[in-house]
Amino acid sequence: MDILLVLMPVALLLGAVFAWLFVRAARSGQFEDLDDPAIRMLQDD
Amino acid sequence: MTAELPGEGAAIARCPHCEAPVEGPEDRFCCHGCETAYHLLQDMGLGEWYAKRESPGARPETSDHAWNAVPVQRTPRGDCTTLAIDGLRCTSCTWVVERVLERTEGVQAAQVSYATGRAKVTWDPEVVDLERLASRIAAIGYAPRPVDAPAPPDPLFTNLAVAVFGTANLMLLTAAIYASWLDGMEPRFMVLFRWGALALATPIATWSAEPFWRGAFAGIRERRIGMDVPIALAVGVLYVHGLVQTLRGAEAYLDSLGMLVTLLLVGRILESRGRRDTADAAAAIASRLPRTARRRTVDGVEEVSPSDLAPGDLLELGPGTEIAADATLTEGALQVQTSMLTGETAPRTLAVGDDLLAGSVVLEGTGAARVVRAGENTTAMRMAEAVREAIDRPTVDNPANDLAPTFTAATIAVAALAGAAWSWAVSIPVGVEVAVAVLVVACPCALGLAVPLGVSAGLGALARRGVLLRDGDALLRLGEIDTVAIDKTGTLTFGEPTVLVADDAVLRVAAGLERASGHPIARAITREAVRRRIPLPMPQELQETAGVGVEGVLDGHRYALRSGGAGRVELLADGVVTGSIELGDRPREDAVQAMAALKAADLGVTVLSGDVSEATERLAHEVGVDAFHGSLLPHDKAAWIGQHGRVLFVGDGLNDGPALGAAHVGLAMRTGAGTALGVADGIIARDGLAPLVAAVRGARATRTAIRANLRRSLVYNALAVTAAAAGLVNPLVAAILMPFSSALVIHGASRVERELSRT
Repeated sequence: MDILLVLMPVALLLGAVFAWLFVRAARSGQFEDLDDPAIRMLQDD
Repeated sequence: MTAELPGEGAAIARCPHCEAPVEGPEDRFCCHGCETAYHLLQDMGLGEWYAKRESPGARPETSDHAWNAVPVQRTPRGDCTTLAIDGLRCTSCTWVVERVLERTEGVQAAQVSYATGRAKVTWDPEVVDLERLASRIAAIGYAPRPVDAPAPPDPLFTNLAVAVFGTANLMLLTAAIYASWLDGMEPRFMVLFRWGALALATPIATWSAEPFWRGAFAGIRERRIGMDVPIALAVGVLYVHGLVQTLRGAEAYLDSLGMLVTLLLVGRILESRGRRDTADAAAAIASRLPRTARRRTVDGVEEVSPSDLAPGDLLELGPGTEIAADATLTEGALQVQTSMLTGETAPRTLAVGDDLLAGSVVLEGTGAARVVRAGENTTAMRMAEAVREAIDRPTVDNPANDLAPTFTAATIAVAALAGAAWSWAVSIPVGVEVAVAVLVVACPCALGLAVPLGVSAGLGALARRGVLLRDGDALLRLGEIDTVAIDKTGTLTFGEPTVLVADDAVLRVAAGLERASGHPIARAITREAVRRRIPLPMPQELQETAGVGVEGVLDGHRYALRSGGAGRVELLADGVVTGSIELGDRPREDAVQAMAALKAADLGVTVLSGDVSEATERLAHEVGVDAFHGSLLPHDKAAWIGQHGRVLFVGDGLNDGPALGAAHVGLAMRTGAGTALGVADGIIARDGLAPLVAAVRGARATRTAIRANLRRSLVYNALAVTAAAAGLVNPLVAAILMPFSSALVIHGASRVERELSRT
C-alpha cells in the first residue's frame, strides 16, 4: 500500500498538467465554436 | 436546373444562381448580380458548390457599411476581425463563403460558423482591405455586416474545468476517508488524503470561485447584498473550516465545497448561454443603423460619422439615404420606408415638419432634415441599449436577490444560535462543528440557481423563437396574463401591400417591369410572380420614373405600369390600359393557427383596431376571433386595456404607444414604429405570429418552473438547517444532500425548453 504515497501525488500532478492543458486550449479559442464541427463533418470537401 | 410550371406541364428555365424562373427555353441569369456571382464562383474553381448546395443562392445586393470604421485586432499574421453574415442558409453556404474568402489574395485565414452566423477573418492589410472582403461576400449573395461588440469567449469555462477536475478528485479522496469509518485506515494515508484534498480544494475556493468573490465584494461595496454574498460566505466558511480541520487532522467538508462551486459555475454558464441569442439580436439592431451621414455645412456637404452629429445639424437627404439620426424634415418631401430593425412597412410620405427616425430609408424625393436626437439618443439606439442592458442585468428583479439579505442573516443567526446551544450543552468544538454544518447545508446553491436558471432558460428559449424581452421581469409578468388584445394592421396582417387579384399574364409583364425596383409595390408584384412560379421576362429599355411608374419594351410592345388609384396598379400596353393588379393588406399566414393556439391556452383574444368596424370585423372572422373593436383611437385602446385586467397587447404602429404602455405586457412587432418599440416590453423579431404563441407558452412554463424551484429550495433549506442544528449532519450527509438539491433545481429549469419544444 505504500505505493499510494507515490501514486497519489503523481496522479494529482498528471491531472494538474491536463487541467493546465485544457485551460490553455480554452484560452486559445478551441472551444469558441462547439456547434459547427458537428455540422462540418457532414460536408465533404 | 428545371422545374415544372404547375398547370402547364412545360419545363421552365431557371436562373443558375438564385433559381428564380426565367423566360425562355434555356437557363439564363435573372439579373446582373446573379451572373457576376456565378462567374466569380466559377473563376475561383468553386463551381461544385452548385451541385452540393441545399438551397438556392440569394440574389446579390450591394452593401454600404463603413468597413474602414470596423475595429480590427492586429496580430502577427495580419489584421483580424469578426463579421456577422446574414443569409447563411445551409452548411454549403458556410463552405462557399469560407472558400471565397480563403481564395481572395491577401487572406491568411477564414472561418465561418453556421451556428453563430459569423466569420472570423485574418488578412494582410498591405494586400487587401475589409471593404474588398465584404464586397466579395456580398457579390456571391450573402450580406456581411459589422458586429458591434464581438462576443467574448466564455471565461467561466476554464473556471469550471478546474472546478470539475478538482471536485472529481476530491470526491475520490473523501470517499476513501469515509470508507475508513468502516474499516479503519493507516494514519499516514489519512494524512495524505486529507492534505491531498486540501491541495485540490485550494484552487477551487480561490481561482474557480473568483467570480463569486468578485461579485460579493462589489455587492458589499455598493451595499447591495445579492446572491453572491451568501455564496462567497459559504465558500469562505467551508474553506477556512477545511484548512483548520486538516491542520488538526479531523473531518472537513471539502468535497461539499467543490460541489458547491462547480454547480454554481454551471448555473452561471447556462445563464450566459441563454442570454447570448438576445445579445446577438441587440447587436443586430444597432448594426442596421447607417455608419455615415451627409451633413450640410456652409461650404457644401460633408460625409461624417453619425456619432459626430449633434442636434441642430442639417442632414442632406436623397433617394437611398439611410437616416442616421432622429430628425425633423425641414425642406422637400420624401417617401420613406421606416425599415427600422429590418422591418418592412408600406412607405410613408412625409412633408416639412414630419419626424424621421434613425434607420429609415428614403425611397424617393430629396430634402433636408434637422437632427433632433443623434447617436446614443436615437430611438433605435435606445431600444438596442434597453435590450442590451436587460442582458447585462438579467437578475435585476430576481426574487432570490431580494431574499438574499434575509437568507444570509437568517443562516448566520441560526448557525450562531445552534453553535452556542451546543457549546453550552456539550463542548465548544462540537458547537463550532454544528455551526459550520448549518452554514454548509443552508448552502445557497439551490436558492441561488432557482430564479436565474428559470429566467435565463425562459429568455433563451423565447429568444430562439424570435421573441426578445427586455428583462426577466417582463417574462414573469407575461406568465400572468389572461387576455390578449391584438392590433390589426401590421400585426395580424402583413401591414404592407401584397397582391390580392391579378391575372397571370398581367402579373408576368408587371413583374418583369418591376424586377429591378426596390419599391414595396414592386416587391409585392415580383414576390407574387415568384410564388406563382411565373418566369420573370426581361424587358428592354427599362425606365423607372420616381413617383410615376416604370416602363419598358417587351414582346414588341411598350408597356408601362402606373398607379390606378388606391390599392390598384394599371398595366398599359402602348398607352392603352390592358389590365390591372389589385394590392392590399392580408392576414399573416399563421394568424388563424396562432389565434386558435391562444384560445386553446384559455386566453380571451380581442382584435383592437383603428380601422373602420366593418374591416375589423371581416378580418377578425377571417382569423377566427369573435371579439373585436374597430374605429378605436389610441387612447380608446389604452382605456379598453385598463378595464380588462392582465392584458398582453401586441401592436406595431405609432398610435399603439399608449396601449403598449397601459398593458400588463406590451409586445411590438419588429416592423413597428420607433415609439412602439420604445414603450414595449419586448419585440417579436421574426415574421409571423408563431413567436407570440411561443412567448405566452414559454412565459407560463417559466413561471411554473421558477415557483416549483423556489418551493423546492426553501423546503430543502428548512429541512437541512433543522437537521444540521440538531447535530444530525456530518460531512458525508452534506456531500449527499447538496448535489441532490441542486440537481432538482437544474432539472426544474430545463423544463421550460422541453415544454416549448413539445408541439
